[in-house]
Amino acid sequence: MAPSSSSGLTFKLHPLVMLNISDHFTRVKTQLNPPSSSCSNGNNNPSTGDATTLPQDFRVYGCVIGAQKGRTVEIFNSFELLLDPTTDTLDRSFLEKKQELYQKVFPNFYILGWYSTGSDANESDMNIHKALMDINESPVYVLLNPAINHAQKDLPVTIYESEFHVIDGIPQPIFVNASYTIETVEAERISVDHVAHLKPSDGGSAATQLAAHLTGIHSAIKMLNSRIRVLHQYLGAMQKGDIPCDNSLLRQVASLLRSLPAAQSEKFNEDFLMEYNDKLLMSYLAMITNCTSNMNEVVDKFNTAYERNSRRGGRTPFM
Amino acid sequence: MSSTENLITSIQGLSASSGDLSALHRILKGAEETLRADSDLQLSTLDQLDPSKHSLGYLYLLDVLTCGGPMSKEKASEVVLLIARFITSCDAEQIRLASDKFVSLCKGFKDRVLELEDPLRGVAPLLSAVRKVQVSTKRLTALHPDCLQLCLQAKCYKAGFSILSDDILEVDQPRDFYLYCYYGGMICIGQKKFQKALELLYNVVTAPMHSVNAIALEAYKKYVLVTLIHSGQFSVSLPKCASTAAQRHLKTWSIPYTEVGNCYNEGKISELQAVVVAHSSDFEKDNNLGLVKQAVSSLYKRNILRLTQKYLTLSLQDIANMVQLANAKEAEMHVLQMIQDGQIHALINQKDGMVRFLEDPEQYKTSEMIEVMDSVIQRTIMLSKNLIAMDESLSCDPLYLGKVGRERQRYDFGEDFDTVPQKFSM
Repeated sequence: MAPSSSSGLTFKLHPLVMLNISDHFTRVKTQLNPPSSSCSNGNNNPSTGDATTLPQDFRVYGCVIGAQKGRTVEIFNSFELLLDPTTDTLDRSFLEKKQELYQKVFPNFYILGWYSTGSDANESDMNIHKALMDINESPVYVLLNPAINHAQKDLPVTIYESEFHVIDGIPQPIFVNASYTIETVEAERISVDHVAHLKPSDGGSAATQLAAHLTGIHSAIKMLNSRIRVLHQYLGAMQKGDIPCDNSLLRQVASLLRSLPAAQSEKFNEDFLMEYNDKLLMSYLAMITNCTSNMNEVVDKFNTAYERNSRRGGRTPFM
Repeated sequence: MSSTENLITSIQGLSASSGDLSALHRILKGAEETLRADSDLQLSTLDQLDPSKHSLGYLYLLDVLTCGGPMSKEKASEVVLLIARFITSCDAEQIRLASDKFVSLCKGFKDRVLELEDPLRGVAPLLSAVRKVQVSTKRLTALHPDCLQLCLQAKCYKAGFSILSDDILEVDQPRDFYLYCYYGGMICIGQKKFQKALELLYNVVTAPMHSVNAIALEAYKKYVLVTLIHSGQFSVSLPKCASTAAQRHLKTWSIPYTEVGNCYNEGKISELQAVVVAHSSDFEKDNNLGLVKQAVSSLYKRNILRLTQKYLTLSLQDIANMVQLANAKEAEMHVLQMIQDGQIHALINQKDGMVRFLEDPEQYKTSEMIEVMDSVIQRTIMLSKNLIAMDESLSCDPLYLGKVGRERQRYDFGEDFDTVPQKFSM
């Protein structure tokens, strides 16, 4: 693993950048193997066990732009670039054209570095990195790991800087890990939330949409619950004395708690219970209706099967 | 003697796995005759076997030993003890292989216990016997009514009530069902759970039957009285789903009860008491006198309940006058009792003797209500599942399919799709 950076710069990453990168990757992946042909691919290659042994090792590239104020580097946006396979460098003319366009709209932003997808940085990336060094003396390299790992809790995004280290007597630039934080603007938060809750495009029925909506709320509440539990455990350990008291952290926790809505009042409990009971009554009513219709079916069938005197009605015996 | 010894060794040897057990069962069935003929067979030979491991063999030997005629009191109590111990420790799997033998053994046990006039000894073993013979909780066995009968005789109603809480869906013999519902109704009356008693007695009265039987008649009499106590209304006609035989004949055999019911509808206490006194010999013959007295006292309650629908406030003296009670003190006692039972909601102002009737204060927004609703919803879900299973089994019934096929053929002559065969050759 690359050692951590010692430049002292703080990096702030906006979620828009991550969304852009992942969207870029997904689009290219779907274009390379559209779902219809992947079925036929599966039939044609029965030897390959799973359908995911397609060119996994393709990568997408692009540039990140932002602003640097003092020691803080804030990465706001990104755009895509094509990698020229012959020279193994990014398309320079396109980059400059895009940079001009962005400069008109966001005069404060300039190119901070580049991004790519993959699991780890490798040697060839250094060439691209060096090529960018004439635009920005110390570019950043944002790497997104597209492999989905459910066990992993953190974001699969790493930011690398380049530093000159003396290796075998020659000063060489190598990639070093830099820590970063996520920074959002209100508008960004809304749009990210919207993207996260995209429903299936065929609409589905009202039932599936409701189920999807409720599942989303359920997972959000579950995550909130687990995070609060972590905090609670931490505070408990601090109280017992296992962990040294950290006053700044305590202040942060206190401010967080004060910003949560007060949900312990008497009125809240009453209203909550009343609404809960109403919902229970509605589901009870639905169950009773269900039962009644089932009972009706059973009785109809029973009467048809075991009716002693069949009803002739107006039916004549001859056809 | 040697054949018995052989049998015992084979029992001991073959009681391990299910394959061995079926072989053992065949041997036992074959050897039953020789066992009966063997006069040297004693109760002491049973000591060689362990009831929990060798249940099947033990069952056969016990049956042969105890099915004899009348026996002396000591022998009877010894036998009873032995059977009780066997029932509590036997293995349910082995018993189910020979369930009718087990049932006849338990019936014999019950008779002996009744002869000894000590029904309490038989309650616990029969309870566990019922649980062991039952294949699933939805099935009624022949032991259910016997167990309930013992509970009634021993007056331990709570034990009997625990059996009644299962929902019965499958019945082998109709007579078991009638007896079960009748005894169950009586136990619920003893526990003062009139709602459940009403359900059970209703089941007996509306059960399909070709001709009126004695159980249904007794059940109808109690049913009339319990309706009076519980819901305060009486209708002469039976519910529509009762069989035609019941509808025609039940009423002619229970005339005193219908008179009581009609009088109750009028609402006059004195007339009701006169009718009760007139027919008291009939009631005593049927052992229903206590129930009739409860019905009379419930008339007061019904009248007070009707008052709550007409008046908002009433003085105690007025209540006493309208309900024909002796004085205001008795009226206050009645009203207090009803408030405690939860039948009405009222406030008694003792200073000026006024009673103010209130609405039901239940707002359905407490957490206890949540538990009640949750359990009710669960029960409905179970019921729905059972109904769907019944529906499926009915759809595969050949009688049903034959009738449906016949009707369809009549409807679409002219179109030859889907000709369902009229008869299924099975």
